Amino acid sequence: MATDTAVDVVMPQMGVSVSEGTITRWLKQEGEQVEADEPLLEISTDKVDTEVPSPASGTLTQILVQEGETVDVGTKVGQIGGAGLGGSGAAEAPAPAAEPEPAPPTEETPEPATAEAAAEADAASPAETPAPTAAEPSAAPPAAPAPAPSGNGKAFVSPVVARIAGEHGIDPSQVPGTGSGGRVTKKDILAFVESGGAQQQPAPAPAQPETAAAPAPAAPAEAPPPKPPAPAPVAAGETLPGETVEPITAMRRGIAEHMRRSLDTSAHVTSAIEVDFSRIVSVREKLKKEYQAAYGVNPTYLAFVAKASVETLRDYPYVNAEMRGDSIVTRSFVNLGIAVELAEGKGLIVPVLRNAEGLNLLGLARGISEIAAKARSKQLVPDDVQGGTFTITNPGGYGTFHGTPVISQPQSAILGTYALVKRPWVITDESGNDAIAIKPMMNITLTYDHRLVDGALAGRFLRDLRERLEHWESEEG
Amino acid sequence: MAIAREAGPVGSLHEVREAGLDREDLLTVYRNMLVTRGVEERGHILYRQGKIPGSFYTGRGNEAAAVGVATAMGPDDVGTPLHRDMGVHITRGVEPWRIFAQYMGRQDGPTHGRDGNVHMADAQLGLIAMVSHLPAMLPVATGCALAFRIREEARVAVGWFGEGASARGDAHESMTFAGTRKLPVVFVCDNNQWAYSTPTHYEFATEHVADRAEAYGFEGVVVDGTDVLAVYREAKRAIEKARAGGGPTLLECLTLRMEGHAVHDDAFYVPKPLFEQWAASDPIERFRSWLRDNADLTDDEEDEIAAGVKKLLNDSLQRAEESPQPDPSRLAEGVFASPEDLDTPHHK
Amino acid sequence: MAELTYLQAISDGLRTEMRRDKRVFLIGEDVGVYGGAFKVSLGFQEEFGAWRVIDAPLAETAIVGGCTGAAIMGMRPVAEMQFADFISCGWDQLVTVAAKQRWRAGTPVPMVVRLPSGGGFSGGPFHSQNPESSFAHIPGLKCVCPATPEDAKGLLISAIEDPNPVLYFEHKHLYRRIKGEVPEERYTTPLGKARVHRGGDDVSVITWGAMVYTADEAAQQLGSDGVSVEIVDLRTVMPWDKAAVLESVRKTSKVLVLHEDTRSGGFGGEIAATIAEEAFEDLDAPVKRLAAPDTPVPFSPPLEKAFIPQVEDVVAGLRELAEY
Repeated sequence: MATDTAVDVVMPQMGVSVSEGTITRWLKQEGEQVEADEPLLEISTDKVDTEVPSPASGTLTQILVQEGETVDVGTKVGQIGGAGLGGSGAAEAPAPAAEPEPAPPTEETPEPATAEAAAEADAASPAETPAPTAAEPSAAPPAAPAPAPSGNGKAFVSPVVARIAGEHGIDPSQVPGTGSGGRVTKKDILAFVESGGAQQQPAPAPAQPETAAAPAPAAPAEAPPPKPPAPAPVAAGETLPGETVEPITAMRRGIAEHMRRSLDTSAHVTSAIEVDFSRIVSVREKLKKEYQAAYGVNPTYLAFVAKASVETLRDYPYVNAEMRGDSIVTRSFVNLGIAVELAEGKGLIVPVLRNAEGLNLLGLARGISEIAAKARSKQLVPDDVQGGTFTITNPGGYGTFHGTPVISQPQSAILGTYALVKRPWVITDESGNDAIAIKPMMNITLTYDHRLVDGALAGRFLRDLRERLEHWESEEG
Repeated sequence: MAIAREAGPVGSLHEVREAGLDREDLLTVYRNMLVTRGVEERGHILYRQGKIPGSFYTGRGNEAAAVGVATAMGPDDVGTPLHRDMGVHITRGVEPWRIFAQYMGRQDGPTHGRDGNVHMADAQLGLIAMVSHLPAMLPVATGCALAFRIREEARVAVGWFGEGASARGDAHESMTFAGTRKLPVVFVCDNNQWAYSTPTHYEFATEHVADRAEAYGFEGVVVDGTDVLAVYREAKRAIEKARAGGGPTLLECLTLRMEGHAVHDDAFYVPKPLFEQWAASDPIERFRSWLRDNADLTDDEEDEIAAGVKKLLNDSLQRAEESPQPDPSRLAEGVFASPEDLDTPHHK
Repeated sequence: MAELTYLQAISDGLRTEMRRDKRVFLIGEDVGVYGGAFKVSLGFQEEFGAWRVIDAPLAETAIVGGCTGAAIMGMRPVAEMQFADFISCGWDQLVTVAAKQRWRAGTPVPMVVRLPSGGGFSGGPFHSQNPESSFAHIPGLKCVCPATPEDAKGLLISAIEDPNPVLYFEHKHLYRRIKGEVPEERYTTPLGKARVHRGGDDVSVITWGAMVYTADEAAQQLGSDGVSVEIVDLRTVMPWDKAAVLESVRKTSKVLVLHEDTRSGGFGGEIAATIAEEAFEDLDAPVKRLAAPDTPVPFSPPLEKAFIPQVEDVVAGLRELAEY
């Protein structure tokens, strides 16, 4: 089958893993006639040396790769027939030689999709949210929507956006979205947080050539809080000898973010008081057997403190309150948070005992023990950890006698209980004589948000709490 | 037409002594056969008492074949015995209480309750635990022999299989490889005539399984698997030949499986006369008579051995029943080996 | 440092271990005189002799089972399957015997099975498969899938050292196409530790083997559009570096899981499910999988191109995620 149309001679693939071959000898010279299947050249590869038979009959019009040169498999090395130099075959063949890159060339360069995305974002921005559409150059004509997500558009809040919104108390619908269909992306909400979480709708900004998702810095109604210094990101992957790296768990990250935010939000002040537990110890001694036998519940010291705290809070509504925007919110109920440490320092969680004001000592003891067990066995449901109004933390189990806990936001105070220890204590009898006695003593702290609770108020709260504990009325059971 | 050599029975004590066994050895062989049968008989009782979970397999009728081959192995030789080869475990020294614990899935069984039945082995005794895919152990035995050959050690591997397992490719591939490389491995076929309910003529078309050996380039031998001394003699020859660099042998021990495939199988498909015929050649009874006729086994000796075996089994059973159940919280341990696990005699 | 092809790096790793440790031997079809179908062991038999570079009969069951027995006897066998596809013939030995022996009988089986895998050269249905997910599913087996020459050597040495049966998937398409700097001395690359092939902020690609390069090309293209792509090369799919994957997910919140194996039941599903379970609240888009369709590997080049994920497929997938 002699031919006038050009037929390419290509470097053959001599085995599945062979990627290139070297021409050792051309058996014909340019201009010579060759028959189909007649040996045309010799090649050498990693696996074999072999002759390459001519793919067609005709004139060898071109030798593109010279003896001694190495080219990729599939490279055109010569041509049979056709018009010779620059012949028609060249157009569809891969570029001859000289491309040592191992990867095959990509055939198409897809159009950049940014314009499409921008157009789509524009189109989908709901009218009632004059969010700064900003983001993209508006020059792009409306295009067919990119094969996009679920079409939920702005209404859909992704898990990460929901989490960040929850952590920062942001309503995602107030964040300008640049994602598919105007969806709020993680970048959008992080930019929103970074900018101080504008409380007012920002004025529509003029189109900017930047893709930045941050809302335009229109003056907010009140000055944004000073940005906390951005923690220097620790370079991942760098480990010094002796260091062990483990990923941060979701819980640890939640704790970290919450603690930081609490310290950034509230004006933390701690006051402490010493409480004589003599009476509680003896009351508890009596109740213990009865509770254990009848209810299987241990009346812990914590339960006593909880009971006294809940009663005392009745008289100090600001200690059981919250600053919400421009308002102060107080309650007729106490949702009592109990800080629970999870196994081996793996985390901390604050389950909530709802309507603690309605529980007697037994109810509180039982409630605390149940909710702590639920926390440790990971059985808590979201309702169990939400809506707390006041928290008690009990770091005294290891003997510590003082601490400054961090307030669980958005509450206004947290009570800390410490080790119960026997101490020499000065007592004054009815006749006014002082003596030193051995007393079971416990330090109790109140850490409060000084924005709302003043020092004197906190002092009175602690004094009343001490009164209740030292003169426990052996009410119920 | 048989191609394999058909080995004859063993006659006199003199012949046995030539094969390397003295009178004390013979009594040990007898005792091992009794323990083997005793362990399995008690296993049946435990199973019927509901103390053994799952199904239960034994090797009644195969005691001579298993004990005979194991007796011929050297202390550094290794093997991959299967579920009819309790006698191999007993002969190599596995303590019966551990076997009972294994049966019952207890913590002190060799697999600590992770596997059951005879799916066990004590690596310290040169045994490798079988899998249910019976012929799959032949390539493993061949690989052991390969290791010995590479290291030029005078050790031999013994790989067991049944006539049913002979149908699978593993058997063919192992024998091909072992034959081409003259590896020091002995293939022992426990031909008990029934692969579950399938008779031999549906498993292989030659007269004997051992007839195939010729095609793999080594010798095939058929021996009466109820004659412990004949089994011993042929196994010894094959093992020593392999040790000397003479390559593999296929030794076929012909027996009848005297029970069903497992406890749940009554073996209705085996003709009654066949059972009666083979019962007359019970391996233990046969050896006992031989000992009385040729080695002056006395009533007192017999009683003493029987009493010793009985006591051993009773004590073992009690100890096994005291073994705790395995701890479910440790289920996931040891899926992967750690480097310390290689601290065994074989890996040092 | 020397510049070696991926294939030379494998040879180098194997030679290094065979020189260092007399227990290591190689067995497979045509590995001796011929030097292996891909010439990985070219010259090995001259150096190590016929009993350490063993030409096996065409019998994968005997090869893998033989390695199991030899490993239990204290050797460190390395088996070569001529093509990964042929491991199906040794399945029982690997899955039934070797994988379970440590757990049930306390007997470790330190062996390596080398598996020339992957397509892209018209190998057809029986010379192109990537069967790693089948084995990653078997408790007791480890699966290694190096992408670079440096990893090819370091991971092979680790695999030989490991006290477990390790499947070493060497991608045929990388053998002679990929070159890179490889340290001349002996070193190990730990199993179960991923490598960030390329750092980025906007979208993560989780992949391994030859797909690392496909992903890299796609990432380059997206880079010119201002989309920053992070590529995590798992290196080993069993054990797999969950922590590294989750770290990348937390950073970018958008993930494409990419592999050359077929989609349903592919290992990408395990990765995607783990991300959904453990990093749900970090996701800003659905986890996307890109894999071969659920068909055997085709022979004809246009069909094979449609089968193996191409750069443009990855570009499209990444773009979709970036725009989400």
